Amino acid sequence: MKKLIITLSIFALTLPVAAQQSQYQSAMLGLIETLDKASTPEEYTQCANRFERIAVAEKSLWLPFYYASYSLIVMSFEEEDGAKKDLILDRAQELLDTALELEPDESELHVLQAFLYPSRILVDPMSRGMQYMELIYSSLARAKALNPENPRIYFLEGVNKANLPPSMGGGPDVAGPILKEAVAKFESFTHDDPLWPDWGEEAARSELDKLQ
Amino acid sequence: MRQISIILLLLAAISARSQQRISGTVTDQKGTTVISANIYFEGSYDGTISDADGHFVLQTDLTGDQLLTVSFLGYETYSCLLHLDGSDTVLNIVMSEKLSELDEVTITAGLFSASDKKKSATLSSFDIASTASAMGDIYGAYATMPGSQKVGEQGMLFVRGGDSYETKTYMDGMLVQSPFFAKMPDIPTRGRYSPLLFSETVFSTGGYSAEFGQALSSVVDLTTNGLETENKASLSLMTVGGSASVGRRWENSSLAFSGLYTNSTLHNLLFKQNVDWIKHPDMADGTLMYRKKVGETGLLKAFASYNYNSMEMNYDNFEAGTLDRIALTNHTFYTHVSYSGELGTKWLIKTGLAYNRDLEDMHYMGNPILTTRSASQAKVVLTHLTSDKVKIRIGSDVLLEQYGQDITMDSTFRMDLDDLQPSVFLESDLKLSKNLAFRVGLRAEHSSLLGTAELSPRVAAAYKTGTNSQVSLAWGKYHQTPEFDLMKMAPGLSAERADHYILNFQYRKNRRIFRAEAYVKQYNHLVKYLDPYDPDPANYNNKGAGHAGGLDVFWRDQASVNGLDYWISYSFLDTRRDYKDFPEYAVPSYASAHNLSLVFKYFFTRISTFGGLTYSYASPRPYDDRNSSGFMTGRTPSYHDMSMNLTYVTTLFRKQFIIHMNITNLLGFNNVFGYTYSNAPGEDGTYASKAIVPTVGRQAVLVFLISL
Repeated sequence: MKKLIITLSIFALTLPVAAQQSQYQSAMLGLIETLDKASTPEEYTQCANRFERIAVAEKSLWLPFYYASYSLIVMSFEEEDGAKKDLILDRAQELLDTALELEPDESELHVLQAFLYPSRILVDPMSRGMQYMELIYSSLARAKALNPENPRIYFLEGVNKANLPPSMGGGPDVAGPILKEAVAKFESFTHDDPLWPDWGEEAARSELDKLQ
Repeated sequence: MRQISIILLLLAAISARSQQRISGTVTDQKGTTVISANIYFEGSYDGTISDADGHFVLQTDLTGDQLLTVSFLGYETYSCLLHLDGSDTVLNIVMSEKLSELDEVTITAGLFSASDKKKSATLSSFDIASTASAMGDIYGAYATMPGSQKVGEQGMLFVRGGDSYETKTYMDGMLVQSPFFAKMPDIPTRGRYSPLLFSETVFSTGGYSAEFGQALSSVVDLTTNGLETENKASLSLMTVGGSASVGRRWENSSLAFSGLYTNSTLHNLLFKQNVDWIKHPDMADGTLMYRKKVGETGLLKAFASYNYNSMEMNYDNFEAGTLDRIALTNHTFYTHVSYSGELGTKWLIKTGLAYNRDLEDMHYMGNPILTTRSASQAKVVLTHLTSDKVKIRIGSDVLLEQYGQDITMDSTFRMDLDDLQPSVFLESDLKLSKNLAFRVGLRAEHSSLLGTAELSPRVAAAYKTGTNSQVSLAWGKYHQTPEFDLMKMAPGLSAERADHYILNFQYRKNRRIFRAEAYVKQYNHLVKYLDPYDPDPANYNNKGAGHAGGLDVFWRDQASVNGLDYWISYSFLDTRRDYKDFPEYAVPSYASAHNLSLVFKYFFTRISTFGGLTYSYASPRPYDDRNSSGFMTGRTPSYHDMSMNLTYVTTLFRKQFIIHMNITNLLGFNNVFGYTYSNAPGEDGTYASKAIVPTVGRQAVLVFLISL
């Protein structure tokens, strides 16, 4: 009896913390699932909004900021109007900057930065192309220095090369091996945290198929 | 067991909290509904969004004081503290739009901003570098902007009826005393600094801020690049020389070096020259840039550059009927250190030290003329961010300009002049609303050489007339000390003055921009003299005056055709002045009534080639026909030029390789810039004349560049 009471008391004491932990976990897991299914701007906005609420509530965790920013970046690629695209990316950059303040040495955050820049280029390729290309490569280099096993680095690098003409150092011959490496890294990549970013694997495979 | 029940009951009681309903609408300041705004209590995961009517309903089980937050793209995040006591609450939330560069009213009168910032780019440094007629020269690219005149034999900027000395160049806020290479008579010069050194350049054709002193007509404000993004190196080989550059990046600092040597011997043999060269022009340049981040917001920049150019020719002095041998060697050193950053949350500081020394060694028919100019400057500008709507800037600088000339001709002359110019300025930006902004400024400067102080008030306003359009107005007084070449003759001269009145309309949508600007400029106290070589100070005075009025129109479209970027600029100018040795009011020889530039750039994706084409037109310019009784009655033929460039980018041995070709005067127009007349009439009583023509007809330059 006494034992049970003690157990229950401990349970009751740790409950708020544990509940909060699991509330965070389950909210994030559910939301990541919703994000995976999202396809319209409204759905992406909705996801970004909800991640932002969690981010503001948790404050010290970088993942909610990461996902809020990621949702907006994905959405920005679909936006046709250049001015609106910049507006979305401005917000995505703000969220990413907050995450980088929390965890400056997280490889995934530098990958996300490299994922944001191509959308900026699309607003005005002629005048932004060169400048942002350099920024993409320096972000990927930073990400690689922090964790060379991160498969998303090779995925983004490969996609960038595949979209560049051979004369500018791109093309299928250059992109192929990089995407192959990306797929191999995706296969071996594991992380303890179930909330860890896992996007890119399917896209890497389909990009590779397109080349062959 | 009972105890367990109690514990369980307690736990149940904790979790069974009452729900409270918060509802309302979200609108912006104009009353427009805000759809999809994110509404939540800070610290809670739950929230909602506003629907298509701006309505929202938020259920919460929180109690006590809670912070309700509403956020939406492009709006300032809204928060309010609510006391939750279980009763339902209805809220009307009004969000204010974030003042972004994109739709905020900005003062645009007189201003052409060229920036690599992601917004508001009119011309980027890449645009400048890729304008065919500019041949990589900043001033050449700005010559395709409305307001500037095409003056082919000079190569400097002549803005809105102003002479070339009326334009001043600033780098990171510091004056650049000699931005152009030393110049031979009738041969155009070019800017010393490569456009690729700058992340932002602003060309102002009038109405500029009280921060800038001296310039009567125009200011070119250059901002050097920030931190290098990565380690890089490149080598280039040209038909006129070669260059190398290296950039190194560390965590918080970077260092960049570039060096250039050009020699036009080969080029001048390939393209027939209208100049009798004894020594073909060559030049060398070395530039070093160091950048360091200081703390969170501070940036320290150090810039140093050394330039050399040299040439020698036989100058056909038609007036005197002699062939004059002129040799010219020019050494210039320019350096500055600047720091910008925040001082607390309300203040920004920008400060710098600069030093410029220019040595011009000319031998005119064997007689040495050695001219040294130097400028030392210290400057500080403090900006107080009083509120979102008010910004106050206060600044001061001290400039010491020194001039020395040694002439050995028959006997030896030595002239020395020093001018110490302390100045202060105060300026305030007031944003009364998102649609209305004012800028009011006052500048006071003293010149030790003139012994006088001048006050220059400046006012500008801008009003947004629609989502994409706005109207700006500007008025200002501008003062400039006469050039040292005149001051050395007559130290009693006083400052020249210009008043600008500008009305500007701008429409911009996506990547299309239209600008039209009307202006009137009144000149007073311009220096007059009888003979340019007269050493008697009594023959110099400040009784000159002039006026200029006109209309500048600009259209740029980067959106209509994929890969195509083009701009059209047209300027109408009506100007007359009485200055220098003019006997009466007349149109100066550099002024043409109509100037037109068409600039096209297209990227051929398939062949990875970037192509540029420019066409420039200037209506006839006046010249003084000695065979006519009037002054400045002659008119040159109109000016035409078509230039093109092609840039091919490829990869060889995993290195980026660029081939660039630039051809000027593609169609071989025979332009005439004016005529010189013999001093003595011929046997038939008329004065013989000779046309002033470009140094070369059609010409091409080829560049190979490899990135290492």
